[in-house]
Amino acid sequence: MSDTLKALVQACRAGEADYQDLIDRVPYARFLGIQVRAQGEELTFILPRNENNLGNPTLPALHGGAVAGFMEQAAIIFILLQMGEPRVPKTIDFTIDYLRAGLYQDTFAECRVTRLGRRIANVHISAWQRNREEPITIARAHFLLSDENA
Amino acid sequence: MDVCKRSLETVRHSRMLGLQVLSAEEEGVRLRLPWREDLVGNPDTGVLHGGAVFALMDHAGGMANSCRLYPAVEITPTIDLRIDHLHAPTPGKAVICDATCYRLSAHVTFVRMTAWEEGDEQGEPVATGQATYTRMKLDRSGRVAS
Repeated sequence: MSDTLKALVQACRAGEADYQDLIDRVPYARFLGIQVRAQGEELTFILPRNENNLGNPTLPALHGGAVAGFMEQAAIIFILLQMGEPRVPKTIDFTIDYLRAGLYQDTFAECRVTRLGRRIANVHISAWQRNREEPITIARAHFLLSDENA
Repeated sequence: MDVCKRSLETVRHSRMLGLQVLSAEEEGVRLRLPWREDLVGNPDTGVLHGGAVFALMDHAGGMANSCRLYPAVEITPTIDLRIDHLHAPTPGKAVICDATCYRLSAHVTFVRMTAWEEGDEQGEPVATGQATYTRMKLDRSGRVAS
């Protein structure tokens, strides 16, 4: 784990750095074009409408993999900001339910940490387009936080 | 095989990821995801992002459905998919994914996926996946039949 990451996480918490800097460190997050918006302590992640993330070309609909990757990355950033000793969490498992087609629109996601243990975090992620009450996908994931035995 | 290659070309996000079809049979498909700098999830280690592996496995699963259904053409949106990351793939190495539709019911397909590092297809998998997809039959004009 690099000290630059730790310093950046601390700066974000203190309001001295932009959360976006944390996302832009990750090549794959830039590949998808992920953005973040902070309202007070609440974070909303955004996957802006981008034709590179399309799966079904005729509908058109977003690629399920792009939405999943977006949600996984949102959870990783979310946990990173809650960890005492920030280290990039490793995904143990990721389970997604697709409820509605992802339209060719901006997509939003929010995370809820169900449990943040010393070694393992359980996170729930919800993604929506038109309104928060009608999620297009929900996901549940476990992350390994500690490097021991990894 | 040719149909699968052409269908992959139409899926923009999969093309952007650099996915390739290595084989496609009724029993299952094999796809390849290259290691690329812009798909890295952890810049400190260079390990591929779980999301890129997820997209590989989801696409492989959908294609396994198409192969099982062939020559009928249906679209099969994902209902759910779970991936277990057994260990991190080595930076610099491509990931290979096999997917098999092991049960085709009237409305739902059941698929298993396994992924390895390229060159280590007999060794320990890096990830396993389990998914269900819903079957949507198409009418003659290519629209979803009600």
